[in-house]
Amino acid sequence: MNVGYVAGRGPLHRSHPFTPLTLAATFAILAFVLPAPGGAAALCALALALALFEGVGGVLKSALLTVLPFWIFLFVIHAVIRGSPVTALDVASRITAIVIVFLTVLASVQPARLVDAMVDRGLPFSVAYLFAATLQAVPRLRQRAKDILDAQRCRGLAVRGSPWRRARALVPLAMPLILGALAEVDERSLALEARGAAYVVRRTPLHPPADAGREKMLRWGMLLLAVGSIVVKIAV
Amino acid sequence: MTPRLLALIPLAVGINLALGQLAAATALPLFLDTVGTVLVACLTGLVPAVITGAVSQVVMTVVSGNATWLAFLPVQLAIAAYAALAARYGMFGSTTRAALAGLGLGLAAATLSWPISYLAFGGVTAGGVTVVTTVLTGMGVPLKWAVYAASLSNDLLDKTVTFLLVRAVLAGLPRRAAARFPPVERALGRT
Repeated sequence: MNVGYVAGRGPLHRSHPFTPLTLAATFAILAFVLPAPGGAAALCALALALALFEGVGGVLKSALLTVLPFWIFLFVIHAVIRGSPVTALDVASRITAIVIVFLTVLASVQPARLVDAMVDRGLPFSVAYLFAATLQAVPRLRQRAKDILDAQRCRGLAVRGSPWRRARALVPLAMPLILGALAEVDERSLALEARGAAYVVRRTPLHPPADAGREKMLRWGMLLLAVGSIVVKIAV
Repeated sequence: MTPRLLALIPLAVGINLALGQLAAATALPLFLDTVGTVLVACLTGLVPAVITGAVSQVVMTVVSGNATWLAFLPVQLAIAAYAALAARYGMFGSTTRAALAGLGLGLAAATLSWPISYLAFGGVTAGGVTVVTTVLTGMGVPLKWAVYAASLSNDLLDKTVTFLLVRAVLAGLPRRAAARFPPVERALGRT
């Protein structure tokens, strides 16, 4: 499944990275607050249109793969077993709307621009580094896990059989991965220390994303809409 | 934040996300997505563990594209707090103590995660857990109890194995590496 940034020229791509993030948060709140089942279904249609308008229609395939198990289980549990298809439709639409908007935002916001925007707003270097380093570490460790699995299988480790046997196989698979990662900590911390990562100073991004006044107003508008809808939901 | 923590946390998050792959290879009903968080709690304490838990959940959501996972962020944070507490009281000192603490964590995690699953997503979350929920609902168990029972059955096993794995790592940690993380001695009940 392809998830992540896709180059493009849509309005979300060109906007300040905080605007798509605010949009995703507003959608998530509205999905829970708008009356069922019409509210979530309308949001779903809006999310679909947004993805297509942004030119990232490819995310719809990933969204379908993500939400399909939800639709199936919700249909079985709520429509077939409990006889409430409206509940199944409401929850499934809610999840679909959130997933489509989230994937659209992921496809529209370049991670480097987001980090620049965050650093520009005074976010400590350590926080920006944490996210960037983690996004790099995850695929590396996943590849290492695969290599360990292949290596242990070559040495005759059986990962099938009784549950007890499979549980025992976990130790020679997990331990090299964990201890290997811990062995890296020293090397990495020395490199970070040498680059002065421990010093708390405000960094200046080279290319901070432009943040137009109307975008700021749009973000405030979305936040007000989200908060207002919560207040109305509680009051009614 | 010290350079050591800046180096450790991304790797711990990587462990959280990579171990699921190994668990899947053994076809055991385990996620093992909190091993890194529990490990950081034992190596460094509460605050770094909470950061690891939060970053894990955000990155897991971003990498998978499944936005529903973000709703379970409070569970990761609670796991980090529980693990830090368990480490403080030396619950990794023996296999039995670690297993008991793992069972306690399973109970706590299931109790925290089922309302999110039930109220926000109609009782549907990860595949294996939802299959159990579906079967129980089909047998006439009320949905909320079916969701709780499914979460509990999975979390008790998953968190016990997580604590046992971390106990094995701490016990097998080379002396030089252990010396870099003073809280390890306390987690192992040696101080």
